[in-house]
Amino acid sequence: MRKGLLFVIAILVLGLALSPCVWAKSKTIKVGINAPITGDIPKVGEGSKYAAEMWLEDIQAAGGLDVGGVKYMVDVVVEDNESKPESAAKAATKLITEDEVLAIVGPQASSQAIPAGEMANNYGTPMISPWSTNPDTTKDRPFVFRGCFLDPFQGPVVANFIKDEFGFKKAAVLYDIASDYPKGLAEVFKEAWEKLNGPGSVVAFESFTTKDADFSSQLTNIINSGAEVLFTPQYYNEVALIVQQAHELGFKAPIVGSDSWGSAETVKLCGEDCYGLFFSTHYAAAGATGATKEFITRYEKKYGYTPDDVGALTWDALRIVQTAIENTGKLTGNLEKDRMAVKDALAKIKEFDGITGKMTFTPDGDPIKCAVIVRISEKGEFEFYKSACP
Amino acid sequence: MLNDKAASAARANSRFGWLRAYAADVPLLAWLLGVLVAVLLEQAMGEVLTDLVGLPKIPVLFGCMIMLKEPTLIPSALVYVAMIYGVPIILLGKLLARPANWIAARMITWPIVIPVIVHLVLLYGIMHIWSDLSLYRMLTLRLTLIAIMLTLSLNLINGYMGEFSCSHPGFMALGAYTASAVMVLFFVNDRLFGEALLPEMLGPFMFPLALVLGGIVAALGALLIAIPSFKTRGDYLAIISLAFLFIVKSLFENLQFLGGARGIKGQPDYADLPTVFCWTVLCVWIINNFVRSTLGKALNAVRDDEMAAEAMTVNTRFTKMVAFLFAAFWAGIAGGLFAHTVRFINPGTFDLKRLAELLAMVYFGGLNSVYGSIVGAVSINMLGEMLRPLALYKWIVIPLLLILVMIYRPTGLVAFKEFDVRKLMQPKRKPKNEV
Repeated sequence: MRKGLLFVIAILVLGLALSPCVWAKSKTIKVGINAPITGDIPKVGEGSKYAAEMWLEDIQAAGGLDVGGVKYMVDVVVEDNESKPESAAKAATKLITEDEVLAIVGPQASSQAIPAGEMANNYGTPMISPWSTNPDTTKDRPFVFRGCFLDPFQGPVVANFIKDEFGFKKAAVLYDIASDYPKGLAEVFKEAWEKLNGPGSVVAFESFTTKDADFSSQLTNIINSGAEVLFTPQYYNEVALIVQQAHELGFKAPIVGSDSWGSAETVKLCGEDCYGLFFSTHYAAAGATGATKEFITRYEKKYGYTPDDVGALTWDALRIVQTAIENTGKLTGNLEKDRMAVKDALAKIKEFDGITGKMTFTPDGDPIKCAVIVRISEKGEFEFYKSACP
Repeated sequence: MLNDKAASAARANSRFGWLRAYAADVPLLAWLLGVLVAVLLEQAMGEVLTDLVGLPKIPVLFGCMIMLKEPTLIPSALVYVAMIYGVPIILLGKLLARPANWIAARMITWPIVIPVIVHLVLLYGIMHIWSDLSLYRMLTLRLTLIAIMLTLSLNLINGYMGEFSCSHPGFMALGAYTASAVMVLFFVNDRLFGEALLPEMLGPFMFPLALVLGGIVAALGALLIAIPSFKTRGDYLAIISLAFLFIVKSLFENLQFLGGARGIKGQPDYADLPTVFCWTVLCVWIINNFVRSTLGKALNAVRDDEMAAEAMTVNTRFTKMVAFLFAAFWAGIAGGLFAHTVRFINPGTFDLKRLAELLAMVYFGGLNSVYGSIVGAVSINMLGEMLRPLALYKWIVIPLLLILVMIYRPTGLVAFKEFDVRKLMQPKRKPKNEV
C-alpha cells in the first residue's frame, strides 16, 4: 500500500518537473470547429474537419497568421456536436469558455446552428455557420454569420432557370415535410413559380416523410397532373430513389434539384438515371478554375474524393475568419475585446473572393452571393452550366 | 449478526476496504461540508494552483478532458484534482465527522424538514459555486439535473412498473412544446406568434405554470396511449408506445403554427440553475414518496405478478394508469425545462436517439431505484462530456461500459435500493458502537 503511494508520488513529481517544458504560454489564436463528427450526418462533419485541416496546413506553412505585423500561431479545436441540438450548445459553450477560441466555424445543420448561435451570441463570440439555411440562425444575432445563400434566394433562382431554359408552365414539387430544409425550399419555390406563371401553375405539391423509400403514389399523382418539370429539393439518398422510381413509372420530363443534391454520393447512388439533370448549388467541381480548382485538386489528392459543397463552404468560412482577424489590425490579448473586433471586421467584409463565389454580408449576417446551376454530365460529373446572381 | 460481521471483515480486507472503513463514521453532512470547502478552495485558489502545476486552465470536469487530450499533463491534472478535491474532502470529512455527527444526531430529532433543508442548501451551494467558474460547467450541470428527472420518471415505468415503455421522448416533446408555446406566445416577440402578449415582468411567475401545463398535456397524451395499450403487456406495450413516439413526432412536424420541422427558438432564459435544481428536488421528493407509498408497493406487486396482485385486492388497472400518467407528467416538466435550457426545440430532438439515451441511463443506473436513476443520469451525462476528447472512440467506450454493467450487474449499478432520506442524513457511529 505504502510503497504504491510512494511510487505514485514519485511519478507525479517527475511529471510536474517536466511539464513546464511541454507547456508554455505563447501567442496562439484558437479557432473552433463545431461539426457533426458522429450522428446522422458524419460525412458533413468529415468534410468540415478536412477543410479545417487543410486550412491549418496553409497557415502553418506561412509560419502563422500575420496580424498587424505580429505572427500568431493558430490552433484549430474540432468539437463533435453529435448532430444533436443540446450537444451543439454544449460544444459551443465549451469552445467559448474552456478552449477560449477567437471565433467558431459551424455547426453546419440548422437544428444545431440555432442553439449554438444562441450561445455564441450571448457570450460574444463570432460564429459562422457555413451551411445552415434557416433564417433563425442569424436573425437578431450580431455575432452570428453564415456562409451560404438563403432559401428565399435559391427558390426564385431555380424557378427563373426553369422558365428561361425550358419555357415550361406547369411544375410539380415533391419534398420531405418532416425535414426543415426541403420543406422551406419547396414552399419558396412554389411561391416564386406561381409569381412567374400565375396561380395554380404548381400542378402537384406532394410530400412524404423522412426515411420513406417508396414514392410511387406521389409520383403517380405528379405524372397524372401533367407536370412538365419536377422540382425536388431532397438529400442525395432520396434523390436517387425519386429519380429512379420516376423513370420506372415513365416520367420523361426533366427533374430539377437544389444544393442538397451536391454530394458525391448522388451520382454514385443514382447512376445513369441522374445524367443530364440540373440543380442549383454553391459551386461546381468539374470545370472549376483558379482558386476553386486548386482547392479541389488538393482535397482530392489528400483525402481521395471530390469535396462537396460543405467542404468548400467551410473552407470559405475559415478564410473569411482569417481575413477578419487580419483586418482587425491588432490583437490586444484581451479575448473579449478581440472577439468584438473580429465580429466588427466580419460585418465590414465586402466582396470577399471565396471559392464558392464573391460575398458581402448584409446587416443580418447573411451573405449576398451568386448561385450556380450545375448539370450532371454524361460522365457523372457536376458541370458548371450557368450562374445566377441576385 | 455473525454473517454481517464476517461480511464487513471481508469488505475491510478487500481492496477498497480501508476507504470504506475510513468513511464508516462520516455522515453525509460532513461530506457535504468537505465538498463545499473544496469548491470554495477551487474558486479562491484554482487559478494560482493551475499556474503552479503548469495547467493551461482550471480543469473543467475533474481534469478528465485535459488528461485525455494532453497525456503529458496527466500528472499536473492529477495533482490539481487531488489538491483541490481529493485531500480536502477526505481530510475534512474525517475531521468534521465528530461535530457533524453531533449536529446530525441533534437535527434528526427535529422535524424532518429542517435537516432536509440544511442538506439541500449545502448541496445547492456546492453546485452554485462549482458551476460559477465556467459557463460550460453550468450548462452541463443543468442538463444533467434535467436528465435525472427524465431518468427517474422513466424508471417509474420501466423499473417500478416493469413495463417497457418507449414513448418517453414523446411525453418530453409534449411538455417541451406546450411550455415553449406558452412562454413564447406570451413573452417573446418572434416570427411564429408575433408580438408578446404580456409584459416580460410576469414571465418568471408564469414559467412554473407553463411547465406544469406542459406536464399536464404530457399526462393527457399518456392517457391516450394508456387506454388502448394496457390491454396488452410486455412486447406489445413496447410497440404501441413506440408508435406513440412516432405519432407525436410527426404531429409536431406537421403542426405549422408550432414551427413544423423548423421548430421553436428563443424561449426566454428562465431555466437557470436554482430553478432547475428546485424542480429536480421536487421531482425526486415526490416520486420517492410515490414509490414508497401503498400505491408504489402495489405497483411493485403488479410488476411481480399481476394476477396475484389482483387477487390481493390491488386495482391493477388503476395502479398502472396512475403510475404511467405520473411518469409522463414529470417527463413533460423535464421537457419544458430542457426546451428553456437549450432554448431551441424541433421535432427531431425527440427521436429514437433520445429514447436510446434515456433507456441507457435507466438501465445503467439501476432499475427500481431512485439512487440508480441519479447515478445513471449523472454518469452517462458526465461521461459523455468527459470523454469528449476521444471523439469517435467515445461511442465505443460508453457502450462497452454499458455492456460490462449489463453482464456483471444485470439490473444496473444500484438497483432495487430504497432511497430513505432519514437514513441518509442520520449520524454515523463507529461500527463498534453498534451492537
